[in-house]
Order: sequence, then C-alpha cells, then structure tokens
Amino acid sequence: MDAVQSVLVWIATNVFGQVAILIGLITLLGLILQRKPVEDVVAGALRAVLGIIILFVGVDLFTGGLADFQAIVSSAVGLDPPAAANTLDGFLGSHGGTVALIITVGFLIHMVLVAVFPAARYVYLTGHLMFWVSVVITACLVQVFGDLPQLTLVIVGSILIACYWTLQPMWIAPFMRKVTGRDEFALGHTTSVLALVTAVAARPLGDPEKHSTEKLKMPRQLSFFKDVNVSTALVIGLILIVSMLFADGSVVREAADNYEEGISEWTWGVIAAFRFAAGIAILLFGVRMFLGEIVPAFKGVSDKLVPGSRPALDIPTVFPMAPTAVMLGFVSSTAVFLALLGVFAGFGWFTLVPPMIMLFFGGGAGGVFGNAVAGWRGAVFGGALNGVLLAVGQAVTWSWLSDTAPELSTLADPDWYMIMAVLIGIGHLTGPLGGLGVWSVAVVFGLLTLVVLTWLSFFTPAKLAQRAETRSASEPTEDDAPPTERDGDTADKGEDSGTSRTE
Amino acid sequence: MARSEPLTVLAVCGVGMGTSLILRMTAEGALSSLGVPAKVENTDVSTARGMTADVVIGQGMHVGELQDMAPVVLTVDDFLDQDGLASSLREALTTQGWI
Repeated sequence: MDAVQSVLVWIATNVFGQVAILIGLITLLGLILQRKPVEDVVAGALRAVLGIIILFVGVDLFTGGLADFQAIVSSAVGLDPPAAANTLDGFLGSHGGTVALIITVGFLIHMVLVAVFPAARYVYLTGHLMFWVSVVITACLVQVFGDLPQLTLVIVGSILIACYWTLQPMWIAPFMRKVTGRDEFALGHTTSVLALVTAVAARPLGDPEKHSTEKLKMPRQLSFFKDVNVSTALVIGLILIVSMLFADGSVVREAADNYEEGISEWTWGVIAAFRFAAGIAILLFGVRMFLGEIVPAFKGVSDKLVPGSRPALDIPTVFPMAPTAVMLGFVSSTAVFLALLGVFAGFGWFTLVPPMIMLFFGGGAGGVFGNAVAGWRGAVFGGALNGVLLAVGQAVTWSWLSDTAPELSTLADPDWYMIMAVLIGIGHLTGPLGGLGVWSVAVVFGLLTLVVLTWLSFFTPAKLAQRAETRSASEPTEDDAPPTERDGDTADKGEDSGTSRTE
Repeated sequence: MARSEPLTVLAVCGVGMGTSLILRMTAEGALSSLGVPAKVENTDVSTARGMTADVVIGQGMHVGELQDMAPVVLTVDDFLDQDGLASSLREALTTQGWI
C-alpha cells in the first residue's frame, strides 16, 4: 500500500503539480488525437513545454517591474505601495498544474453542454483567455476557501469555467449580430460585459448611420499606439519618469541599486520601463507558444464532437467592421484611465498601472459596440467606460487576491472583475458552510447554467426553438439573419480543413 | 515554376495569440486546399518586424505597417473565410510565379 501511495504522491507532485510537464502531456495527447506525424507531435509538445517555461520568465520580470513601478509612483504621491502576501509567479508555481487541468476538463464539460443544449451553440476558442480566466477562477477559489485538495479545485473550477465559456458568447450574441451582420462566429472574449453594457447604455447617444465613426478620419500619428509593446513602454516610461521627479530619492536609489550599483537613476528609469514592457512581451510570447499547439487540438476535438457548432473568437475579429471606432475607443479609454490615475492618487487610494493591452482591446471593443448602436459618441462612451471599469477594478480587486495572485488585477478585462466579484462575494456568503462552501458554488452555478440552457433550448417561444433546430440544418431564421450562403460556407470549410463532419 | 521549398507564411495580429492563431488555422486550410506546401506561424506586429517571410497575412490596421517585409502582404477582414483567403492567395502566388 505504501508503495502505491508513494507512487501516487510522486505523480501528484511531479506531473499534476508541474504546469510545464502537464501542458506538455496534454499537448502530446492533443497532437496524437489529431493524428499528426510523429515529428510534429514531438516538436509541438516540446514547444508547448518551452512556452510555459518562457511564460514563467516573463511573469517574473513583469512582477518585479510592477513592484518597482508601484513603489516609485506611491512614493511620488505620498502613499504606501499596495501590499500582498503572494505573487502571480508564486501562485502559478504552486497552482499552475491545477489551472492546466481546469482548462482541459472545463473544455470537455463545455463541449458536452454545447452538444446537449441546442441553445448553446458556440465553442469557446480564445486560448489565452481560456488560460487566464482559469487562473482567475483558481485564484479566487484558493483566496476564499483556502488551499483545497487539487481534485476539489479542478472539479469546481472546471464546472465554473465551462458555465462561463458556454454562456458568455450567448449573452453578447444579439449585439454581435448587430455589429457583424452575421452569425457564423461568436465573440469569446472577457470584454463581453463592457460590450454588453455599452451596446445597451450608449443607444440614446446618437445614430449609428448618421454619426458612424467610419466617416471620421483619425490622425495617422496615433497608429503606432496600436503596437501594444510600444505603447506600454512609452506610457509606463512617461509615468515612471514623472513620478521619479516627485518620489523620495532613497526609494528611487534603492530600486536603481537593486538593478545595478552606481547606475544613474534616470538611466535606470528608462531601462525599467522597457524591462516592464519586455516582461509583458515575454509573458505573451510564452502563452503564444503553447496556445499555438493546444488551440488547434481543441478545435479539432470540438469539430469532431459537436459538428456544426460555431467558434467564439477573440475580440479583434470585430475590429475590421469599424477600425476608426477601435482607435477612438482606445484613445478615450486611455485618456479616462490616465485621468482617473491622477484623481485616485489625489484621494490617496491606490497606485494604478496603465494596462495598455486591456486599454487597447477593451477600448476597441467599447468603440466597436458603441459605434454600432450610436456612432462616434457611442464609441467614445464605450472606450471611456472601459477606462473607468479598469481603473476602479484595479483599485478594488488588488487586495481581494492579496494571498494568491494580486497582479491579476492589473492584467484584467472587465469580465475578470465580474468573475472576481461574484466568486469572492459568494465565497464570503458560503463561508459558514465550511468544507461544503466550495461545492455549493459549483452546484449553484452549474444548476443555474443548466436551467438557463434548458429554458432557452426547450421552453422558449417557437422562434427560438426553431432557431436552435436550424443549427445543424440549413439557415438561421432570425429577423437579422445573415446572408443565406453563410452556413454552407462553414460546412465547406470543415471538409476542406480535413475534419470529418457528419451533418 | 513552382517553388521547391515550402512557403513561409506569417499570420499577424495585435498581440499574436488570438485572432492570428485563428487566421493561421484558416491559412493552413486554404494553402492545403491549393496544394501549396507551407509553414504558417502566428505572431504579433512587433515580433513580425524582426522576421522574414514569403507571405504576411493580417488585418489592414496591422499589416499596413508591414508592407515592406514580404513580397506578398495580404489583408484579411474575415478570419474564417477559408475560400476567400484561398482565392486571394492563389492570385498573389500566381503573380509571384510561385504556383
């Protein structure tokens, strides 16, 4: 018995506890299932492992840069830097394996939901957010319920993430059809709440035809901001240098000395801003490397298991509909965020970090959805709302995750904050239930999702039911239905790419 | 005259993880439907500038800045339109004399 137990402990520690090894094995399995040639299988699995290792290097650099940035900006405005008992680096090190399992098991549950319920027809394929939202859910569960057994975390986390992946593309779908004029793909992105609120609240602001952003001309000089690596280095650098003017000299000196004894503080400031941006770039590069192997495998599985399902994709898929709205939303979200950074500092609240990536993509989402209902005023509104949500979100949620991975609050989109608020709120409510608390969260959300999907699939008026039936048949019947050739299109593609479809 | 080496193709987007990966899968499908051997990679705009490729594919707002980096630069609005991409690839590759 002892021997069996020690083998199990060894596997738990060295396989399920090691995110790099686990992702490598999951990728290996995915590539074998796709029947890739052996050289592709080996190379793909190795790339995935390497991607995770690179991700960790990037996270390490990013969290270090963030700490320096916060220390100096805090000192400049006379505050204490935000404190935390743990870091993203440490959290991924101890719980990365759990996250990898949640993604895999959660995706399978999501597949089952999409296969069973006619209303749930979108398969979530935005890989980097599959990763990050799984990290957020794991961090929230650990933060609220303490360090639970890995099996518990995986089961509860997978159920929660599967509910989110299934429902999120559905609640934004009516507005997606408005933006894109078609229904062959959905939006799978964590700016969905922002897009939803914008599409509803911006409506009275203008007329989508008369005030369309695409009749405006944006200055060309703004275009380099689209490169988020460049805009991160630039904006972080400016804020850091300005803060250094007002910060306590000893704080700056210490940070500079930690980097290199005797280096000029100003040289350090410039280098620190670039290292911060480099940390994010490396982190993203690592994520890209393992996603490039895993997402095609997930797509292959979903094409086989749920033929006729539609993909839920990353937010830039809607950007071509209104490129000017994207820039307008980005500019307004960045301006509002920077203004709030000043206001919050004045009130002595928190040292905010401008998250250029989230300002760009969230601002873009707000811009496109706002423009679709109200033209340029809607686009400006959507971007500004993103700036407000990100600023308030950072200020509020950092301390929520202080025992797990507080840096998540600086990498977050609006949906992340919503998930944090819901899970941590419910966690506190169910705290008195003791060990049952965490299970009750999974049961509540699992049942709620099942009820919503059942109702939408089987009990809504004829129109909806009919729409559901047409999923695997010919064409949708909505009023705002896309051109009829679209469905034929998707089916053709499936055959072309070699995936077997049994319609 | 057909090329003896596989084509190197870059799918580009803002951060190089989401849409460019979907585009990569669409491009792989399109190229295999044309029977053109190719190695497709996905990446972000900054990284793309340091790479070499025969073909660059991406959204107009991004590949606008990458016009000089490859002989063929294609703009895509519809990331799932494999047939559309296949026909614009066929035209561009024929112009280059690669197929």
